[in-house]
This record gives sequence, structure tokens and C-alpha cells, in this order.
Amino acid sequence: MTTPTDSERADQLNMLRESALGFVTKESPLHRARALRHQAPGYDRRFWNALAEQGWTGLLVPGSLGGYEQGFAEMAEVAAALAAQVAPEPVVPVLVFAGRLLAHASTTDLATRLLTELAEGRTMPAVAWQEQVTGAQDPLDQAATRLERAGDGLLLSGGKRHVRPGAGADGYIVSANGANGLALAWVPANASGLTLSSQPLADGSYAAQLNFNSVRLPAGHLLAEGPAAVAALARAYDETLVLSSVELLALVRSMLAMTLDYLRTRVQFGKPIGSFQSLQHRAVDLLIQQELTASVVSQAVALLDDPQADATARSAMASRVKARASDAGLQVAREAVQLHGAIGVTDEYDLGLYLQRALVLAAWLGNGTLQRRRYADLTRNATEQEHP
Amino acid sequence: MNKPSTTTGTDWNALDNSSFRATVREFFETRYPKDLRYPKRRLRWAEIRDWYLTLSQKGWVAPSWPSSYGGMGLSPEKLIIFIEEQERWGVGRAPDMGITMVGPLLIHHGNDAQRADYLPKILAGEHIWCQGYSEPNSGSDLVSLRTEAVADGEHFIVNGQKTWTTLAQDATHIFLLVRTDKQAKKQQGISFLLADMKTPGISVRPIRNIAGSEDFCEVFLENVRVPRANIVGELNKGWTIAKALLGFERIFLGSPKQSQYALARVQEAAQRLGLFQDTGFVDRYTKLALDVADLGALYGRFIEQVKRGETLGPDVSMLKLFATETYSRLADLLVDIAGSSGGMPGDIALPGGKTDVLTTFYNARPATIYGGSNEVQRNILAASVLQLPS
Repeated sequence: MTTPTDSERADQLNMLRESALGFVTKESPLHRARALRHQAPGYDRRFWNALAEQGWTGLLVPGSLGGYEQGFAEMAEVAAALAAQVAPEPVVPVLVFAGRLLAHASTTDLATRLLTELAEGRTMPAVAWQEQVTGAQDPLDQAATRLERAGDGLLLSGGKRHVRPGAGADGYIVSANGANGLALAWVPANASGLTLSSQPLADGSYAAQLNFNSVRLPAGHLLAEGPAAVAALARAYDETLVLSSVELLALVRSMLAMTLDYLRTRVQFGKPIGSFQSLQHRAVDLLIQQELTASVVSQAVALLDDPQADATARSAMASRVKARASDAGLQVAREAVQLHGAIGVTDEYDLGLYLQRALVLAAWLGNGTLQRRRYADLTRNATEQEHP
Repeated sequence: MNKPSTTTGTDWNALDNSSFRATVREFFETRYPKDLRYPKRRLRWAEIRDWYLTLSQKGWVAPSWPSSYGGMGLSPEKLIIFIEEQERWGVGRAPDMGITMVGPLLIHHGNDAQRADYLPKILAGEHIWCQGYSEPNSGSDLVSLRTEAVADGEHFIVNGQKTWTTLAQDATHIFLLVRTDKQAKKQQGISFLLADMKTPGISVRPIRNIAGSEDFCEVFLENVRVPRANIVGELNKGWTIAKALLGFERIFLGSPKQSQYALARVQEAAQRLGLFQDTGFVDRYTKLALDVADLGALYGRFIEQVKRGETLGPDVSMLKLFATETYSRLADLLVDIAGSSGGMPGDIALPGGKTDVLTTFYNARPATIYGGSNEVQRNILAASVLQLPS
């Protein structure tokens, strides 16, 4: 594979953007997203197959496993196009979080098979690592869930929360405390001793709470352990934070565009309400948040695609962008409702679809406050920098 | 007076960026007076004069002017590096209206005689210019200005008042926007006029600001006779020219440097006060630290646009808004963590060193007002970027 020049890559990205937007706008109108809410699994597996036919489920997967070996910039185009239509399919949880975790953690036959099937759209794995209600005390390098040797296999006990997709996943990559530190194990959805409770999320999708009651697994289901497992989880987590931010940015753009249309057309007191200065100034503040988010998102995606990037710098950037995007997502959602007035709080009006998705994505994997704390911890030493 | 250097002709743009940066940095670090780094207020001519003349002798006093007029002829990309290095080293701003405004004004809109008269004297530090735009009743609504110039043979008789004129007390010359046709529509009766501050009828009253310094002045004009030859460009076309002078330098109103400096002050004070043990403080600090970092990302995007040679659109206003409002929030935090010392001007003795708290607070006030108040900038963004109705 020859490396494309910058302008060739930009052209390819433009083509992908056009084609993704074209496909998603046509195949995933807002009424589709609306209709899939509040009934498990909360998305459409046939639509997932259609994404696979587009080649998008294999975008990040190595060519040797049937994927397209593209960068995060390409993945971002697809994720943004889907988020702009509030499509409920768990693209980032499955393709980025689980897919990248498999790729980073392991080269076992099992991991290879799962990635091949993921690229084809046949398997939907999910990552299960959080255990706390708020997630605030969930470190990436520890887990209370235990993985022990038992005969020639493994025994898993404990529980996990906030697992997306919360229904319909084919199996879980579970983090656990093992004999050699953190361990990552594959647990098929139908494993005996695994119980799942799907909890409804604001946007009509689901997060799973998993309980492992002495789940027996073959030894080959251990994907990684020790520092390699920690590094793989941290990296996939960071990549997922960035791609979730890409989705949040797409929501921000859609919500602001809807709001501006409304301000231009809604007439009160004999004038379009967008002519009122107090509303104009609030709209400008949303524009600033949108453009700040866009600037950081573009730096963060570029950093993921930079093979030289330092792991700590990547983590700091991932937390930084998720903090900005989460807060911008919620701010724009709140203000969009206020600027719309009463129509903005009705379920019937489409703005609600975006607001509910923003609530879910802002909270997922750590909201603005949590990400800023992680950023502060990661940059604490660098805070002793030279300053004027 | 020193003559400007004749070493012009160096093609700085031919240097690669890192060599150019190193050259500029080395010069600033070795030649700029250490006690004037990061000044807390605008420096007066008497304080910064030597540095101006040092730059003049080096041929570096007018980085953006074409080399044929004695400037460095820097490309936008090189000019950005030059300014970044000034900011990095905390080089104080000299009274630079001659360099940033009058030079480009005369180069693009003046005539040969005006260029020959004025440009060399600006380079030599012989003429110090101030900007006569704002008036007591024309601030954000500048186009309503009323200072009047009435033709009288080969002269104009000027009457009126200018205000917020930065460092007018140090200036030898003033460039004025004056009304030359009272009958025309607002924008169409305005002209650019140059005047010597020694002309009879011009008087200056410095205005003491809340920080206790005299950065700006009122300028009174009473029957001031100015030669007709001092009109720049066409009569009654001053407004158009003034707008055209707003080049890409507007981007520097949104530079993150001021906020980075304020953040460093907050960090320094917080360390001295042991506040990094306090989660509540760390949360507030990190939020602002990320605002500053993200401002840097947004700024970088506009800088890239300038480097590509593209014209900046009205959307650049958002930089100024976020930069100055972030700076203002940092100033608030600094005052807040100073607690009971938050009302003390000047250096406050904290454990481990002195910190000045109120200078940042005072500096943050005009930042959201000058260069088009933040409210006017929001109006501009709403109309021309968001396309909201008027």
C-alpha cells in the first residue's frame, strides 16, 4: 500500500464524507431513528449489515483480516455522518472501542477470528470495564471483577456496568483482576452464569449491567494480561473518547443548524426572532463552542493517526477533547431548546432526538468534569513547565 | 536622530522558518532590555525609545512593510513567527501606530510626496503617531463621528474632539478620521487627514485609568489649520480606506498569549497558596487551562488560513471574543484565590514570592471593549456568519 500525499488523502476524505452523508441521509432518515427507540436492542441489525456492505465495519481492521486498514480520520467521517442523523447503531462502541481493543490486546486465533467477523459485520462485541455507578472511581488498570485459573480453564466472577450496546451484543471483552494484574477475557453472550440487564438510556438505546456468576471460560479466552492489557485498554479508551467527541460535534452542528433555521423563520412581535440581539448573542456563543470543539477534534483525530504520538500526550488529548465536546454538546442542547421555546421540549420535535443522544454521549466513558480530572492528573508533572 | 539601517534587501522569506525563528529569537533575547519584559501596562515612549531605535538600526522596526519602503517585507507566515517571538519573550509594545497603521495607509492609499515625507521618519523614530478615531459620542458606532474639517483654500479647518487616543501625549502626529461632507450619508462624508500635533489648536489631556496609568488621552481640536495636502486618498473615501486597513493583523487580537500569561500567573499564585491540593480549585483551574489550550487550537486554525495566503473572513471575530473572555475569567480567578488580598493593587506578598493580582483584572477590562467591543463583534458574527436577520 503506498502512502497517499496530504492532498490525495484530503480528496479521499472528501469523497468518503460525500458518500457517507449521501448514504446516511437517504437510508437513515430521522423517523427511522425515532421508531427504533425504547425497544431492545434499540437499533437495527439489518442496517448494521448495510453498513458492512458499505465497507464501514471494516474501516479500521487490518487488511490481512479482511478490513480496509483506514485511519481514524476516515472512521470519523462515517461516525459523524451517522451521528448527524442520530442513527442508533453502536458504531463507536463496537467498531472503535471493542474493535480497537481486540486489535491492540491480542493476536490470538480468537481475537483474529473476532476481528475478521467484526469487519464483515457478523459479530458485535462490546467492552465491559466499568463497575461504579458514576464511573468516577473506575481506573483503567484495576477491576474488582476476578478472573482465576480453574483446571485448564478460567473462572470469572463479578459485574460490570455502562456496557454499550446494552442489548444484542454477541459477546464482551471483560476487564478483570487476574493472577498477573489486569486481564482481558472474551465472554460470549450466551456463556453460562452470565446474566444481563438492559437499562434504558435517555436516547431510547440501552446500556447493559452484566453479572458474572462463576462463568467458566476456555483458557483461550484470555486475550491479554498485565501491562499489555492495561496499555491496550487505555489506548482503545482514548481512541473511543476521540470518536465519541466526533459524534458529539456532529450533534452540535445539527442542533445549531436547526436552531438558526428556527431563529430565521419563527416570527413574533412582527419580526423573525433571530433579529433580536439577545438571541443573536446567545447563538454566537454556541457558534464559538462549535468551532472550539471542531478545532480540538481535528487535532485529536490527527494525533490518533500519528504513529509517533506519545501515549500520555494521546491520553491527555483524548480527555481534553471529550471534556470540550461533552460540555459543548450539553450547552448547545440546552440553549437550542431555550431558543426554540416550548416546541423544543416536545418529543414530537426532532431536536429532542439530538438532545437525548447528547446526554448519553456526554455521560458515556466520563463526562466533562471527569475528563478534566483525568487531564489534570495526566498533565500534573507538565504543570511544572517553564512559564513567563 | 538615527538613520534607518540600509541593510534592507535581505530576503527574510527565503530563510526556512526555523532559521528565521532562531535569528529573531536570538536578537530579542540578547538585545531587548530585561527589565521591560512582560510590562504590566503600555510603555511610554521614553521607556521604549531605545528599543525602537535598536530595531530601527537593525532594519526590523517595520516587519510588515515591503522592503522597498524600508520594511522587512515579511510574508504572513514569517510575520506570524516574528510576532510569536515577541510575545514569547514578553517584548513590550512601542507606540506603533506609525508602523501598523500609517505605513500601510500611505503605502496603499497615499501619494509619493506623503510617502517620501513620512515613511522614513516613522522608521527612524522621529515621528510617533497616534490614532484619532473614537470620539466622546462615537465609540462602537464610529461612523457617527462628528469632528469636522471644513475646506478653506489650501487648508482644512478642523474642529472637534477625539478620545481614547492611545499615548497621544507621546505622539508627534495624529491620523484623523474627520467629516468632510456633512450632507453625504454617514459613511460617505468621511476623510483621512494627517496632522502635526504641534499645530496650534490641538491640545491633549491624558486620561487616568482604573489601574492608575495614563495609557490614553483626550485630544481637542479647535480651529486647527491642516494643509489640504494632508488628506490621504480620495476626499470622502476615508471610511472605505479605514475598513480596508483591517488586515489579517486582526488575528492578533485573538492570540492566546495573553491568556497563557494570565494562566501562568494563576498557577504561580495557586502553588504558593497550596491550592493544587484542593479539588474544587483544581476543577476550576483545569477548566480554564483547557479553555486556554482550546483557544490555541482555534487560533491555530486561523493562523493556518493566513499562512495559506487566504483572506480572513468575519468569522475571525470569534477568536477575539473567546480570547478576551477567557482572559477575563482568569483575572476573576486570580482575584478570587487572593481572598482578602484581592483588593490590593500591586505586588502581594504570598508564601514563596510576590504576585500581582489586580493588574490582570484591570487589563482584562479594556480587552473586551477595544478593537470593536465584544457585543459589536457578536452583532457582526450574527449577521455575517450566522446569517441571522436584522
